[in-house]
Amino acid sequence: MSSVPLAEERDQKLPVEFADEKESINITGFWTFLVTDVLIFASLFSTYAVMHKAAALGPTSVQLFKMGPVMLETLLLLTSSFTIGLGVYAMRRGQVRALMLWMVLTMLLGAGFVSSEINDFISFAHIGATWHTSAFLSAFDILVGTHGAHVTFGIFWALTLLFQLKKRGITARTARKVYTFSLYWHFLDIVWIFIFTFVYLNGKIVP
Amino acid sequence: MAHSETELTISEAYERDNDRALKFLKPRFHEEKFPMTQILGYIGSLILTFAAYFLVINRVLPSIALLAVILTLAVMQGALQLGVFMHVREGRGLAWQLIPLYLVFLIALGMVGMSVWIMLFKSGVS
Repeated sequence: MSSVPLAEERDQKLPVEFADEKESINITGFWTFLVTDVLIFASLFSTYAVMHKAAALGPTSVQLFKMGPVMLETLLLLTSSFTIGLGVYAMRRGQVRALMLWMVLTMLLGAGFVSSEINDFISFAHIGATWHTSAFLSAFDILVGTHGAHVTFGIFWALTLLFQLKKRGITARTARKVYTFSLYWHFLDIVWIFIFTFVYLNGKIVP
Repeated sequence: MAHSETELTISEAYERDNDRALKFLKPRFHEEKFPMTQILGYIGSLILTFAAYFLVINRVLPSIALLAVILTLAVMQGALQLGVFMHVREGRGLAWQLIPLYLVFLIALGMVGMSVWIMLFKSGVS
């Protein structure tokens, strides 16, 4: 990203979500929330790191994980992160219909991600791999499940934003809400990248 | 230096300190006619993901080195998401979110890193 010289920066107008002072403070507040969410996921990742090898009588990570669905989930979530990024881009240009279209697409991709993940968990349960089975599976289910619950919540949040955009259009307030939603969604994408790497890929590396 | 400048008024001191110390929080905005940054960011994230996947599937390195490489790829991907999509340096006035973010990355790295580290002592814990 190129840095703009100070003189030009003075002429450039603030984007709509930062135009109102109170709404900008809300954005900073949302960053603070994300910081606390990093702490939740960091403690769950730590738990998983400690419990990874404790498979007891259940399957180990090498036996359990199927990379096909995981790659599909990763692709869906990466693409949804891209579409909400384009949504915020459209919002800054004042294109409310394009913004709503990108948000609907983001929600669909997120729903695809969640349904694939639920499907994974059901197939694990069929071979008797639930969170009762071993410390490894308890840690796995709580880490991946917390992320999945976040994504599910995000889909419903986006739905409420769609109604607000339909009724009020792009104002300083709705723009701030869409912007914080996009922060939340990208954040979940980053967490997933670490689950993908630290849980799934790492689980496939035989020592 | 601060000791020799006791003659400053409160507001003078405020102006000076703000200027110097908070320079690293100066927001940066990025505007384009076409969302090229987003498209390049998306392609970059796909490349990083598939690179990590094929490295693991083809088992090109010993386990520890492989884990180090894919974790590096994940950190690069996280930085890409923060920079390209989350506009981490944007803000009104100052980008205050950077301070808690730096702090929490340090804490998270410490928590996970030390948990992994302590599990390397096979004899003490089981």
